[in-house]
Amino acid sequence: MSKILLVIERDLQSLIRHKSILVMRWFFVIVQIGIFGLAVSRLVVVMPNYYNYYAMGVIVMTMYSVAIFTGYEIYDEADDGFVEYLLSLPITRRELVLGRSLAGGLRSFIFMSPIIAVFLLIIGILDPLKLLTALAALYGFAFGVSGLSITLAVGLKSGDRFDIIMGALDAFIVRLSTALYPLAFMPGPIAAVSMFNPLSYATDLFRWSLNFNMRFLANPAVALVVLVIFLMTFNFAGVMIYERNLEGGSWR
Amino acid sequence: MAGLISMNLADLLIMAVVYTKMVSFNYFKFVAPGIVAVGLFAAAFVIGREVNNETRKGYNQYLLSLPIRRFELIIGRMIAGGARGLIYAIPLLVLAMWILTFPSVTQLGLIIFAMFLLGMGISGLAISLAVILRSFERFTTARSLIYLLLIFCSTVFYPLAVLQQLFGGILVIFAEANPLSTVSDLLRGYLMGTPPVTFFSWTELLLFSTVFILAGAGLYSLAIERSV
Repeated sequence: MSKILLVIERDLQSLIRHKSILVMRWFFVIVQIGIFGLAVSRLVVVMPNYYNYYAMGVIVMTMYSVAIFTGYEIYDEADDGFVEYLLSLPITRRELVLGRSLAGGLRSFIFMSPIIAVFLLIIGILDPLKLLTALAALYGFAFGVSGLSITLAVGLKSGDRFDIIMGALDAFIVRLSTALYPLAFMPGPIAAVSMFNPLSYATDLFRWSLNFNMRFLANPAVALVVLVIFLMTFNFAGVMIYERNLEGGSWR
Repeated sequence: MAGLISMNLADLLIMAVVYTKMVSFNYFKFVAPGIVAVGLFAAAFVIGREVNNETRKGYNQYLLSLPIRRFELIIGRMIAGGARGLIYAIPLLVLAMWILTFPSVTQLGLIIFAMFLLGMGISGLAISLAVILRSFERFTTARSLIYLLLIFCSTVFYPLAVLQQLFGGILVIFAEANPLSTVSDLLRGYLMGTPPVTFFSWTELLLFSTVFILAGAGLYSLAIERSV
């Protein structure tokens, strides 16, 4: 366990090295919520309080994009020859990948915590138990996304292919979810895909914890189950693929 | 580029389709010209990263050794930046025309000219940034800032009237002067009939492009000489 904690500590420290990226992400959140969110909520006529709905979605969406960053770091490490150093350490592959996934989720959480705190202050913290459940679920979601990112990165072992797939995935995963708009307003095919998207459940669970109108949200129990399955699947897959693929170089 | 294409298509074919059901007008038709402008902008800006890489890695010395005059090199890169943006945006334009209406030959010519002008202006802006901010990290930070400001403080995704209702002062002035707003509204004017295309819109676009083409060319010529 202490070795996993060491891996987590190391990855958390790397968050501080990428200060400019963090500052830009914060700025992105502020512009999205402060300009785009306000403007679009003025246009929306079918739903009261769309602005809060949207702001909550942007918070979770940004947690997703920070958690995905772990995969890009793996390629930077492969480029710098750092992977072989990690493999030489007295730590099992399993501990390494679990530590990295946990750290990825924690980084995303730490990064968004000031914005979440300010948002909670503005709208008022309501039921602490519900909020705790939602924050735990958000962390679980970010943990799962880190696992997904590691799984893809190590599975592909090609920086270019990873870049292309993540670019495409990023664009569609957000728009094919309830991060920006409720399921009720999506046409059939878009709604069908959104129902399989863990980002939909993570954002709806966060909204449920802040007492948003349940009419526009997924069932919180279902959301919890989906998130648990998601994080277990991708971290299990990440461990297996990481253990097999990390050896022997051949990074492209 | 794959990420860029995905984002533009996802914005138009998913986000705009859903928002159309949530607002009181045809948002899908409204945003289509805006997506064309965003696509053009992002593709034309790519030259900035390339110039920044070349400046940092000493590639400029190789370019200077080629049997090409300085001004030919500079003009060539500016035109290439604009052309690249235009080539990338043409499929999006065709999609927008298919959604809205096919313009007359004259209007189409004017649309392509406006897009090429924007592309060259954006390339000039990107090259200016790339040579001023030699550090890759500073360049990517500035680029992200510019992306955010130009895309979200514009009429790409919402009418100017909404920004005027919500904000005042400098943000609205920025949105009005924003070349992405100008080209989005020009495209709407030619493809939808509203807002009307005015002489002022063309003047704004010409002014932006001229300033940044000259700035980009001037700064690039200084940068490549300085690196020797």
